[in-house]
Amino acid sequence: MSAQALPQRSTGSGDPRAGVLLEIKRIQAQYREVPVLWDASLMGGRGEIVALLGANGAGKTTLMRAVTGLREGFLDVTGGDVTFQGQSIAHLDASQIVKLGIAHVPEGRHLFPGLTTLENLLVGSVARLARGQRREALERVFELMPRLFERRHQLAGTMSGGEQQMLAIGRALMQNPTLLLLDEPSQGLAPRMVAALFEIMVKVRQAGVTVLIAEQNAHQVLSLADRAYVLEHGRITLEGAGSQLLEHPTVRRAYLGL
Amino acid sequence: MSLLLEVAMSGLLLGGVYALIAVGLNLQYGLMRILNVAHGEFLMIGGYVTYLLVSLRGWNPLLTLLVSGPLLFAVGLAVHGLLFRHLVRLRRTREELEANSLLISFGLMFILQNVALILWQADMRGYRYLDQPLQVFGAVFPANRVVAFAIALGFTILLFAFLHGTLAGTSLRGLMQDVVGARLVGLPVRRMHAACFGLGAALAGVSGSLLSMLYPLTPDIGVSYTVTALIVIILGGLGSVAGSFAGGLLLGVVEALGVHFTDPAFRMVLKYGVLALVLVLRPYGLFNTVARRPEQMQKA
Repeated sequence: MSAQALPQRSTGSGDPRAGVLLEIKRIQAQYREVPVLWDASLMGGRGEIVALLGANGAGKTTLMRAVTGLREGFLDVTGGDVTFQGQSIAHLDASQIVKLGIAHVPEGRHLFPGLTTLENLLVGSVARLARGQRREALERVFELMPRLFERRHQLAGTMSGGEQQMLAIGRALMQNPTLLLLDEPSQGLAPRMVAALFEIMVKVRQAGVTVLIAEQNAHQVLSLADRAYVLEHGRITLEGAGSQLLEHPTVRRAYLGL
Repeated sequence: MSLLLEVAMSGLLLGGVYALIAVGLNLQYGLMRILNVAHGEFLMIGGYVTYLLVSLRGWNPLLTLLVSGPLLFAVGLAVHGLLFRHLVRLRRTREELEANSLLISFGLMFILQNVALILWQADMRGYRYLDQPLQVFGAVFPANRVVAFAIALGFTILLFAFLHGTLAGTSLRGLMQDVVGARLVGLPVRRMHAACFGLGAALAGVSGSLLSMLYPLTPDIGVSYTVTALIVIILGGLGSVAGSFAGGLLLGVVEALGVHFTDPAFRMVLKYGVLALVLVLRPYGLFNTVARRPEQMQKA
């Protein structure tokens, strides 16, 4: 089954592949021999917000893990390819992928609870940045999220859920990524915090970072997204610009409750 | 100075060495959930290395730390590479890793003890070093105990400074708390595991060298020190160097006072008594903060 493509929004470029940063080509994946993804394909351009919609169990997390090499729980990629800046990365492990400039904020965040905010951020930069670049990256993160500066000496494990999510994003940004993957960033957060997080996403995009967001909070993410995909039972069933998907009857019925 | 205070201080001196032994084991267990019950055997090897260099080559025992530390680091790396690395890779749950590493290290314990028996027989071996009395704050202790304490304290402070004062040490603490988090930021997890295991073994070797200045050696001295280290870790909390240090001192004092009031034969009973009390009253360790509670730590 192939995805139903909506008419593409004009990007001002004749070649639709110009400026493509991430391309997932017909990827297949399974957990312990149980297939989770079938022929899922996706594209992300430079400086775009790409939304990935889908219900629980649709395969959003697996798709992200296939990109970032986080293969905990016996995830196997059995077919297809993932390219980043034109280079295949499907065979690389997580630490090699981090070094390329791909940062991942998974579900559950995986912060270091007994380290302070500042320590979490600094450890985030170890693998990617030289010593001299860390202060600058830190200043950028604190400017983007002043709350983290206020909490810089607090242990991560003692902060609120929203602050922890900010810290997880901040720690990922400390890698100076070109591509940032966020898995359900708004899950379990108060509406005001969710709005703040999406504002941060817009600023991150303005800095030229491509952001791939898996979300169930369809309305907010689609109104920001340059590109959006709907993933159902391991297959991409719908794709187009965020604003187009917002108007699509299937999306309105299944994800917006309209 | 009152006798009781003197007894307590002598307990503190020994507790400092207990702390160093426990810190080494804590690096391995706290970081990787590898329950290495052969830790005391690494200590025993360190002791024999010092004994051999002192008795055959006439070295100063303190100088032998420069051999026992690096040698046991290399042994630790080899043991990790040959045995535990595969266990960590193949583990499905934390419990499975703990159980399998316990079984494997039990085997390792017997192998190392028997190799030591073949090489050095079961006779007690020792040498005399700085066994003249030394006055400290009005109390009198054997000088070698004071020196062993000072060196153990120095190593513990160095390790604490490394873990809390450098970015590499902070990264290591991060890895101890969440291994997936460590992968997400691109830390070289496998290399850090190996280095930590080596470092834990090196600290055991150094502790063995220090203990050989105080007590005679036999191939089976390791087990009681492994148990001591486990008790100290439970007292002080997983992964915490400061906790291990405080736990070591506390156990040393309790043991010294307890033996003073009862009988040296009760030494292990007293230690297990402390362990049972802590497990009932403060199962996460005496000094554990909320953030370090095991259920909030990521499964390794």
